[in-house]
Amino acid sequence: MTEEKKPEERKRRRTATEAASTVAPMVKAMIADVLKAKEEGKPIAYSFIYCCYDEILRAMDIVPAWTENYAGICGAKRDAQRFLERAEAENLSRSLCTYALCGLGFDAWREELGEMPPEPPWGGQARPDVMLGSGQMICDPRNKWYHAAQHYMPDVPVYDVAMPWIPFEDDYDYREVQDYYVKYIVKQLRGLVEFLERHTGKKMDWDRLSEVVELADRTWDMVIEAYELRRAIPCPMGTGDAMNTMVPLTFMMGTQQAYDFFRGLRDELQLKIANKEGIIPDEKYRLLWGGGLPSWFALTDFNYFNSKGAVFPAEVTYRLIEPIGRLDLPKVSDPIEHIAWRWTKYWTYWHDKARKRPGSHPDVEHLINYIEDYTIDGVVMHEAFSCRSWHVGLIWHLNQIKKVYKDIPSLILESDIVDISTYNEADTRARIDAFIDTLEAVKSRGR
Amino acid sequence: MTEYFAGLDIGSTMTKVVIMNQAILASVIGPTGPEHRKLANRVMEEALAKANLPFDDITYVVATGYGRISVPFADKQITEISCHARGVSYLLPGVRTVIDIGGQDCKGIKLSNGWAVDFVMNDKCAAGTGRFLEVMAEGLGVKLDDMGRLSLTAKNVARISSTCTVFAEQEVVAKLSEGVPLPDIIAGLHEAISVRIYSMVSRLKIEREVALTGGGAKNIGLVKALEAKLGYSVLVPPEPLLTGAIGAALLGEDIAKQAAESGTPLLRSERRLREATFFT
Repeated sequence: MTEEKKPEERKRRRTATEAASTVAPMVKAMIADVLKAKEEGKPIAYSFIYCCYDEILRAMDIVPAWTENYAGICGAKRDAQRFLERAEAENLSRSLCTYALCGLGFDAWREELGEMPPEPPWGGQARPDVMLGSGQMICDPRNKWYHAAQHYMPDVPVYDVAMPWIPFEDDYDYREVQDYYVKYIVKQLRGLVEFLERHTGKKMDWDRLSEVVELADRTWDMVIEAYELRRAIPCPMGTGDAMNTMVPLTFMMGTQQAYDFFRGLRDELQLKIANKEGIIPDEKYRLLWGGGLPSWFALTDFNYFNSKGAVFPAEVTYRLIEPIGRLDLPKVSDPIEHIAWRWTKYWTYWHDKARKRPGSHPDVEHLINYIEDYTIDGVVMHEAFSCRSWHVGLIWHLNQIKKVYKDIPSLILESDIVDISTYNEADTRARIDAFIDTLEAVKSRGR
Repeated sequence: MTEYFAGLDIGSTMTKVVIMNQAILASVIGPTGPEHRKLANRVMEEALAKANLPFDDITYVVATGYGRISVPFADKQITEISCHARGVSYLLPGVRTVIDIGGQDCKGIKLSNGWAVDFVMNDKCAAGTGRFLEVMAEGLGVKLDDMGRLSLTAKNVARISSTCTVFAEQEVVAKLSEGVPLPDIIAGLHEAISVRIYSMVSRLKIEREVALTGGGAKNIGLVKALEAKLGYSVLVPPEPLLTGAIGAALLGEDIAKQAAESGTPLLRSERRLREATFFT
């Protein structure tokens, strides 16, 4: 019986920064806040990260419940299996996105009981009033997850926000089409505001939205100011910690708390650099987390890398922001239009960089830029079997780096984001050991 | 004083040990089995007896392979990627790509100047490993060792479309009942496994010369199927099971030399053969 299974919670991962160590309590408080808001009758919106509606929700006093985050928490606490099994019992294939499966399993169970499933991680996931999907390119679960959730909550309406970005092509300049994209996104977001007003009874406060957007812009700048300090040798903060700090970055954008968090992180990193305090005392190899979501149940693998002298000064995962000044945004007074431009220009920023290197591509250029900026010796990626949107292209990216830039040692780890049954610690660490050997061989002898 | 070096490769299926002094003085190959914690010292004893050496005479012992942490008397554990690279480079200088088909995993290793600079590994799925052929041999009622020879007599290679070991076994049984000759089925299996291995190792940009090691390299049918896929001949060491153990012994020698040159003491474990336990 799935109900009888007890989770096997792991020891907390050792963090390099004080800031990262404060994230777990922040997440716990965030989940508790959603549950409290539910009790108080505030509207709850099931939400996805990087959908550009964070600021809209904040300005309308609607509480986001980040469903991917909750699935990740279940995974990190090694308590996702019973929800995955529940979803499987609902005839959902185990090969679908395991964030979605975990969330759907939880929802199905909660709706059947009329209350939270037994011992829900950190109090559980509140029943939403609206669900905000996202048709973002190939990540179809962001589009279909909430439609499937309506099987269990037919009374909860769904709004799908399509947030396209301009594909990179050699035969046209994105400037020819960017206005159409921005208009489309603006229309999508205005439609969302109307939907939210209709279904929650809340009214948009446009002045407040402008303030929240301005705060989010400053937070984008502050995040990068902090993260670029990781270029230092020795590196003061690694990807293991960034998998914690992604919480204020992705789940709290547009809040003072997120801004203050990254200002505190920046100050801490500056101090560490002044004291020449790295993640480990003897840094030998600098690695780039070059793609893929992490195995939330195995974040201690980052500590294992550290034990071998390897650190991760940078990662592309969860870093879909750049300082606002770099994006060449047009001056607009409408905050919705600003959000649309910021989203569009973030992507085209990498188009401009890719065009400067024949044969390159924005995703590949992203990696190459980090390899250079952060003095990287090798690239590590994670193929999470259930996450096609991140999987697609990883090997192609590595091949393109070799083709248009240089040969660099690489490692592809294989497992999942939530489904622990795909993970074998001994095999994973044997691969890491072998990778460290190849890094050493390349560093000491060349290719 | 003559120096001797031992390399132990505790694979998932076979345990291999060599004792070297410039050349191989003794080697032993035995099945790993569930008692591999006890086996490591037994095969070591056997190798020492063959070499006519007491354990104290061994300058340095390196363990590698899946069970390398279960060798309590090893002076150092080194990954199989590094050991295979070193062993192949010693036996077959000039090799740029190694394909190692082990009992439960398959590896591709890219070499540069004799050292591993990149690798790929399949340890998630039995397809593409020796286990695939073991399961098929059981299903077909033939000895694993006979599969290579039998497949060379195939007239019309059967097409095995399943890459999953479980489904391939069902497919093989179905083909048998359809009356497809045994050699054709076995050749089809070799072709299926070679396609899978080739696609995995291709991530490395395969470069000649290519060496084939591990138990799979002892299967002439699989060697031929891989050669057909590559479009050229591969090199196979005289005893393809021993490359990891040889590499381990050679890396041990490198470590001892470096210590002597730098004047640092060589850190060694106690020279006492004992079983590994979970509790020490």
